[in-house]
Amino acid sequence: MKIVADRDRCEGHGLCADTAPEVYELDDDAIVVLRHEVVPPELERKAEAGARVCPVAALRVEQLSVEA
Amino acid sequence: MSLRQVVVVGGSIAALTAVEMLRMEEFDGRITVLSDEEVPPYTRVPLSKGVLAGTESIDDIVLAPLSDDVDLRLRTPATALDIEAQVVHTPAGPVRYDGLVIATGARARRLGGPDQVERVLRSHDDCVRLRDDLAAASSVIIVGGGFLGMEVASTARALGKDVTVVDLAPPLDRLLGTVVGGRVRSVATQAGVRIVVTDGGVRLLGAPTPTGVELVDGTHLEADLVVSAVGDVPNVEWLAGSGVQLHGGVVVDHHCRVAPNVVAAGDVTVMSQGNGDLTRSPHWTNAVDQARAAIRALLHGDEAAPYRPSQYCWTEQFGLDVKLVGDLDPQGEPTVLDGSLEQGSALLAWPDATAPRTVIALNHHTPPAKLKRLLRPTAQARA
Repeated sequence: MKIVADRDRCEGHGLCADTAPEVYELDDDAIVVLRHEVVPPELERKAEAGARVCPVAALRVEQLSVEA
Repeated sequence: MSLRQVVVVGGSIAALTAVEMLRMEEFDGRITVLSDEEVPPYTRVPLSKGVLAGTESIDDIVLAPLSDDVDLRLRTPATALDIEAQVVHTPAGPVRYDGLVIATGARARRLGGPDQVERVLRSHDDCVRLRDDLAAASSVIIVGGGFLGMEVASTARALGKDVTVVDLAPPLDRLLGTVVGGRVRSVATQAGVRIVVTDGGVRLLGAPTPTGVELVDGTHLEADLVVSAVGDVPNVEWLAGSGVQLHGGVVVDHHCRVAPNVVAAGDVTVMSQGNGDLTRSPHWTNAVDQARAAIRALLHGDEAAPYRPSQYCWTEQFGLDVKLVGDLDPQGEPTVLDGSLEQGSALLAWPDATAPRTVIALNHHTPPAKLKRLLRPTAQARA
């Protein structure tokens, strides 16, 4: 699983980082930064929860194909 | 008895968070979500901005889809609840539950009469209608100067419309206080928005589509389009006669419980404050906080951690980004923690810097988590 963050959409509400600090953090401008290129399997559920709570829909969840 | 079949009624962030939380808490039974909307769960936040401006579509605002093992039924409104039989009735038939989450949200409050087709903004449907009307209009009156009304004003002004906002009090003051409220209004006024403060209620003129308002002093204002942004009404009609306590919303306790195996979260709720007061907090973060607390209570009962409001809300308008933590409507002059209002970027605290009950970041890039840490310790403990 991969998270795609739209940093232009991000408004720095930080709910993703509150929900899943292992996956998301905010930089000095309060814009989202991803901690993993590919989300480790044990964090996938949290990563999804963090994406879903974004009020401006700046985070997309992408499933990587099995071959990848 | 452990739950096997949880039904979530609603299709917005409270409902979605409830589902999320069920899975996080290792609930492995069936989850059914009943939503009366045509479209999958989306965020309403951009409806007053990019979607209204026509630069974004539903595809930009849908939330990450639920996993396949969740039975999401769109266009399926709940029409009645039978608590004893543990059944939610829908036009498509009854749905049995052993755990129920009420998250039916709210709809826009309306001012007009039965012969008037009033423009409001709450759902995606409302937004699409308003977007098309706004595109065709050259002037618009917005009744109500809360966050929503002023965000619509900002978007309409950016589209080049002639914009008037009418309210009973100076817009935004009761949310942001007079200092920041005044600052935002002055930016709005400089951007060309006309603000009319009236002493009494307004009447919408014109039918079926209103094209004006009458103020209490008899003054008539006219525009191509009138938008009502005058708050919301909890969707509780389906619960009438069910035994669920209704008092301007579904009454919940501090665990967001309603009845045995029934919880509620989000804009549909009013929370008992113990002293008899009931409060509503119809904001995004509150819906999230309540949904999490509700599921914990549904699964773990009294042992669950109670609801703790994060007391965070925000607005974006006229190029201003305002983030507030703590109590709404801070009184008096703030202490400036950083920046300055004149320079357009400031971090402000009320009543003082040592023990703030409210902190506002105005165009100041401080993460809300950091803002919350600035609140006085007692407020944090309470929150």
